[in-house]
This record gives sequence, C-alpha cells and structure tokens, in this order.
Amino acid sequence: MAAGGERIPGTPRYRHHQLRNPGTEPFLPNFLLKEWIVGAVFLLAFILWVWFNPVDLGPRANPDDTSFIPVPDWYFLFLYQILKYYPGQYIVFGTVLVPLVATLLLLFTPWLDVSKTRHPYKRPLATGAMVLTTFLVIWLTNEAAVQHRAEVAAASGQGQLSAGLVSLPKIPASQIHLTATDMPGYQIFEQNCSGCHGKSAEGGFGPPIYAIGKYWDENKLKSFITQGSPPKMPPKGGLSSESDVEKVAQWLAQQKGS
Amino acid sequence: MLKKAYDWIDERLNVTPLWRDVADHEVPAHVNPAVKMSAFVYCFGGLTFLVITTQILSGMFLAMYYTPDINNAWYSVKYIDDQVLLGQVVRGMHFWGASLVIVMMFLHMLRVFFTGAYKAPRELNWVVGVLIFFVVLAFGFTGYLLPWDQKAYWATAVGSQIAGSIPWIGPYIQTLLLGSHTVGALTLTRFFAIHVFFLPAALLVLLALHFIMIRAQHIAGPL
Ligand code: HEC
Ligand code: HEM
Repeated sequence: MAAGGERIPGTPRYRHHQLRNPGTEPFLPNFLLKEWIVGAVFLLAFILWVWFNPVDLGPRANPDDTSFIPVPDWYFLFLYQILKYYPGQYIVFGTVLVPLVATLLLLFTPWLDVSKTRHPYKRPLATGAMVLTTFLVIWLTNEAAVQHRAEVAAASGQGQLSAGLVSLPKIPASQIHLTATDMPGYQIFEQNCSGCHGKSAEGGFGPPIYAIGKYWDENKLKSFITQGSPPKMPPKGGLSSESDVEKVAQWLAQQKGS
Repeated sequence: MLKKAYDWIDERLNVTPLWRDVADHEVPAHVNPAVKMSAFVYCFGGLTFLVITTQILSGMFLAMYYTPDINNAWYSVKYIDDQVLLGQVVRGMHFWGASLVIVMMFLHMLRVFFTGAYKAPRELNWVVGVLIFFVVLAFGFTGYLLPWDQKAYWATAVGSQIAGSIPWIGPYIQTLLLGSHTVGALTLTRFFAIHVFFLPAALLVLLALHFIMIRAQHIAGPL
C-alpha cells in the first residue's frame, strides 16, 4: 500500500472542499481544534476549582477508635442508603438483589429495548425508567448525606458538649466576622471569655460560639452564662457583676454568623 | 525539515494509513456544537476521556511520593500536601478528578441512553461502557483507602463487612478484598496494586475497545 493510501475501503481521504453534506467537517484539524478549546476551558475551570478547594487529610487511621462514624465516598452513598431499608435478615435484598437486578438491567438494556425507534419520546417506558432511576439515585445520595451529617452532629453533641447545648461547626477564625464590636459586651468577651472560647469565638477549650445568637436569644444566653456549666465553665463565665453578664449576653445575641 | 523527517519514517514504515484511520473522518453536523449548540451533550464522552487522562497523569506524579505501607502511607500523603512543590494541587486534581470522572461518565451514559445510541448495531459498545463504569467505581473504592486516614480506614472496614455479609460467597469475597480478616497491611498493598496496576490495565483495554468500536461503527446518526 502506497504511503497516503486509504485503509478504510470505500472511504476516500477526506477533503474539506468536497463536502457533500453541509455541516459536516473534518475531524482533523477543524473539529479537534475546537474540541481542544472546549477542553482547555473545561480544564481551566477544573484547575481553578482544585486550587480553591484544597483536599484535607483526616487524622491517621486508628483501628482502635471505633467511635468514628464511617461513610463511603459520595458516589457510593446511594448503595449505602439502600442497605438501610433492608435491616436484619433482609439485608441480602440490599447487598445482592437490588444491585444485581439493576446491573443486569443496565447491562442488557440493548436487548430489553429492542424497538427500532431511538427518539426518547417514542419509547416512554425506557425513558421513564431511566429518568426515575436517576431521580432515585440522586434522592438516595442526598438522603444518605443528610443522615450522615445528623449522625455526626449528634455524636459530637454527646461526646464533648452537655445535652441541650448548641453545637456550632468548627471553622477557621479567619472566616468569622464578629459583628457589633463597638458594644461594651465585646470588650467583656475579649477580656473574660476569649481565653476559653477563642479570640474570634471560634472555640478552644470551650465550644465555638461565633454564631450562638442564631440559636439562643438574649434571655437564654443570660441564664446559661449566669449558671455556667460547672466544672467546665464557671458560673457567670468568671464574671463578677450581673450587669456584665447582661452586656455580654446582649452582644452574643447579635452574633448570628452572617 | 519536519516534513522530511516524517517522509523518511513514512517511506520505511508506512505510518500514514495508521493515523488516517484514527483521525481522517468527517464529524457529522448533529454532533457538532459549533453547528447546533444542543449537541454539546455529545462532548461528554470526550470530556470524560480528558479527565481520565488528567487522572492518569496526576496519579503518576502522586506515585512518586506515595508509600503503600501502613506505617508510612499517611505520612507520605501529608508530605505531598505540606512539602512537595504543588503537591497539594496534584493531590487535589486526583481527588476532585475522581468525582468528576463519575459525574461526566454518568452524563455521557445518560446521553447515550436518551439518544438510544445503544441500539443495534452498537449493543456491544454499550456493554463495554457498562464494564468501564464498574471499573471506574472500583478505582474509587480502592483509591479511597490509600491516604490511610480515619475516613479511609473505616469506609473500607464497613465496605468489606457489607461484602462479607453476602450469603455463601461473602466471606470469600471479604478475604479476597482484605487479604486477611481485617483491614491492615495486606489490604493496603493489595488496594494499591489494584488501583495502580490492575484497574488501569483493564480500563485501557476497555477504552481501546470502546474507541475502536466507535470508529468502526461511526457515531449514531441524528434522531
Ligand atoms: C474556663 C473556660 C471558660 C470560660 C472562661 C468561659 N467559658 Fe463558656 N464554655 C466553656 C465550656 C467548656 C463550655 C461547654 C460547656 C459544656 O459542655 O457543658 C462553654 C459553653 C458556653 C456557651 C454555650 C455554647 C454552646 O455551644 O451552646 C456559651 C454561650 C458560653 N460558654 C459563653 C461564655 C461567655 C459569655 C463567657 C465569658 C463571660 C464564657 N463562656 C467563659 C468554657 C468557658
Ligand atoms: C471512562 C469512561 C468513558 C469514556 C472515556 C467514553 C468515551 C466515549 C466517547 C469519546 C464517545 C464518542 C461519543 C461521545 O463523546 O458522546 C463514546 C461513545 C459511546 N459510549 Fe462511551 N465512554 C465512557 C463510558 C461509557 C459508558 C459508562 C457507557 C454506557 C454504559 C458508554 C457507552 C457508549 C456508547 C454506546 C457510545 C456510542 C454512542 C454513539 O454511537 O452515539 N460509554 N464514548
């Protein structure tokens, strides 16, 4: 075969100016160049996302710490969630039956949907089944994520804080914007409470309280601080006067974590 | 100069037909977003492949530092994060890329499904696609353990328990996965080998089949 010959029988070498169907274009170089532009934009967006969302590394694996609440990566959550609906002896439905049937249906789709028509509207059964499956998968994934978050919150509430306390997530102090820092309560907080609760109320020995005002009003704050939570937090948080407690409660009630 | 070099090689090896087979074909209008914007759904397969490529590249760089043993794995990942130049970014690419592959692959599958492109004569390519899907999920499952942090350890522990609860064959699957009866040193080396040798080999073979079939059958016509 001569150099430049054609291997695909009946398909002559493509020439742009010999177009038969308007709208078609050569894969190389026309289409590929455009595709590369799309690819470059896509990659750029990806890199930007990666840059601003650094991955963190959790604490080193500790086989003895059985209190850790396990969770698979998000794209397995829907499978994980299915298991929860078949507790005890029915677990095989979740571990084997449902996944197996779903896999077989997916694998043999071309032999189940054998009509010649391809338009999605003209084969409502196949289209409907796939739309339903997609929604179900998304719903199950979300359900699992919500339940996992609730479990983690409940566990951290029991583990470190006494019942009835608000449990705010720990976030870096740099992301906290305390408001109304001109109120007298702020100075009292800085002098008496920040040692335990952190300069930006981000938490330390005591829990984070940077957005406590979202959950507790001034009265609730006042009564909690007055009582304290001995032995962890002294009554009045170590303050001596009733009016200081009132001022700090007034200020904390403003912190709604905007 | 370049042309001369090319001709010299071509005279001896006749490479022109090789790349023409790959690259010399028309792109029909109905899959070209430049002609009709809604055709962007036909890009999903190509974008999936692009992300797969970045996964392979970032994975190769991570493998230069990663150490698959239970004493050092976590520290080596921490080293990549804190010390290696751009290590945080490369690890980020591999981490987020893993999710992106799944998303793009799912979108691609939906495109193929809703355009009925799996119908005769493309049944086999659909089957190959489903196999690719499972290989990619296996990448996710094995890769998740490698950083050897709490999340990784306990996810794998639970995953293998679930596998172990399957009647009859469960315990065998569990032993096969873990290399022992609990998640430990053997599990980590095993998952590492599967993640970086077995699965890439399987994926590349399947992708080659996928692309050869697309070229042989052409992309499905307009609806
Ligand atoms: C000795 C350290 C310490 C000091 C000083 C202290 N706290 Fe606390 N605070 C704690 C601890 C520990 C808790 C959690 C109590 C528990 O778990 O029972 C807490 C809980 C709280 C809560 C409830 C948090 C929640 O999540 O519901 C508030 C509000 C609060 N402190 C306000 C204050 C204020 C205002 C001051 C200063 C006047 C103050 N604390 C001073 C240690 C301290
Ligand atoms: C790593 C994963 C995958 C990659 C990189 C990939 C890549 C591609 C590419 C580039 C095309 C050309 C058309 C297009 O871009 O839409 C294609 C077509 C196709 N893919 Fe995939 N694919 C993957 C996974 C899958 C999966 C999971 C399925 C189905 C379960 C699938 C089934 C098909 C079929 C049937 C075609 C032919 C479509 C047609 O002729 O219109 N692929 N694939």
